[in-house]
Amino acid sequence: MYRKFADAVMIVGWVLFSCLAGLAHHSVAANFDQTKTVDIVGRVKEVEIRNPHSQITLEVSKPGGGGVTEFYVEWSDKNALMRRSVPVSKIHVGDMVTVSVSPSKRLPNLGYFRTATLPDGTILKDCGFAAFRGGIAKGKTGCEESAR
Amino acid sequence: MKHALMVALLIVVSVPAYPEGKRVELNGVWILFGAEIGKLQLTPEGEMKRAAYDFQKDDPDFQCRPASITRIMHTPSPPIEVRQHSDYVEINYEFMDVHRRVPLKNGLAPKDAPYAVRNYPHLGRSAGHYDGETLIVQTAGQRAGVLDTLGVPGLYQSDQMRTVERFIPNGDRMQIVVTHEDPVYFVQPLTVTFNYLRLPGGKIEKWDCKPEEATYERFIPKKN
Repeated sequence: MYRKFADAVMIVGWVLFSCLAGLAHHSVAANFDQTKTVDIVGRVKEVEIRNPHSQITLEVSKPGGGGVTEFYVEWSDKNALMRRSVPVSKIHVGDMVTVSVSPSKRLPNLGYFRTATLPDGTILKDCGFAAFRGGIAKGKTGCEESAR
Repeated sequence: MKHALMVALLIVVSVPAYPEGKRVELNGVWILFGAEIGKLQLTPEGEMKRAAYDFQKDDPDFQCRPASITRIMHTPSPPIEVRQHSDYVEINYEFMDVHRRVPLKNGLAPKDAPYAVRNYPHLGRSAGHYDGETLIVQTAGQRAGVLDTLGVPGLYQSDQMRTVERFIPNGDRMQIVVTHEDPVYFVQPLTVTFNYLRLPGGKIEKWDCKPEEATYERFIPKKN
């Protein structure tokens, strides 16, 4: 019985690492499906605004009420978020939030940040690097209007 | 009359020899607007290395180590900064906190130049000069390893690779044309063109990468 359990753990671990191996490089377009948006509802466990990538960890209820599972929200580097004046300090550990993500092409527990709806209904947006660059190209000091 | 001469002398003394003319436009902080990769033709050895590339073991980014200047410049959001001085140019890359210092001296061979980035000798020795208004940086002595993990993932370089970067000013735009020649891995020189946009008021911030925060293993659920 124990042997079967150990084998199962090894298989799950192997599958997870195989999925990770598919993330061959850092490109957002290569790793996340930017044509889709998925809403993840969960409690903020950790907010790590850092380089090279920021990360929000959410605790999400398992279907059927059997405890929680972790969902990781990948985000831009800290310096880029600061340049784009994203008010990241509005996200607090312990808050129930809804984060819209572009889902990972390979991992079920991972997505790339698009917006977050905070407990008071505020929608936290990040225009992204392309819109920031577009704004600078047009002589603005930040994101262009078409920010998502 | 004597006073006027003194003032004129002071003005002459206080004006630096470089930069002057259009090349002064290279000074500033820049963000990447786009990159174009030229025709890539690898030797059989280059193809083999690329096929065997395993990002988990081979990508230096996960150890917070910059693979190459080309890899650094392929990272979209962190800006770069160019500061020209009378006898050297400093090129600061926010990504991985790379601060490069290139001597400006006609006739200086890269092999005789000091390491361009003191704490990353694998990035080689660089020497710079001007061709008209274009700043040219030649690099040799780059160590064998991964050249790119983002623009062309799994591209390798040998220690025989020689690189020429041409910094071309154009007002609030700048183009850096990079040519890599590597007899071990490339059949023909590989050219990568980076187009930059001036970032007004921009500043190079600290990157402060920590390997434990860069690894993909952070996506594995913790057991607490």
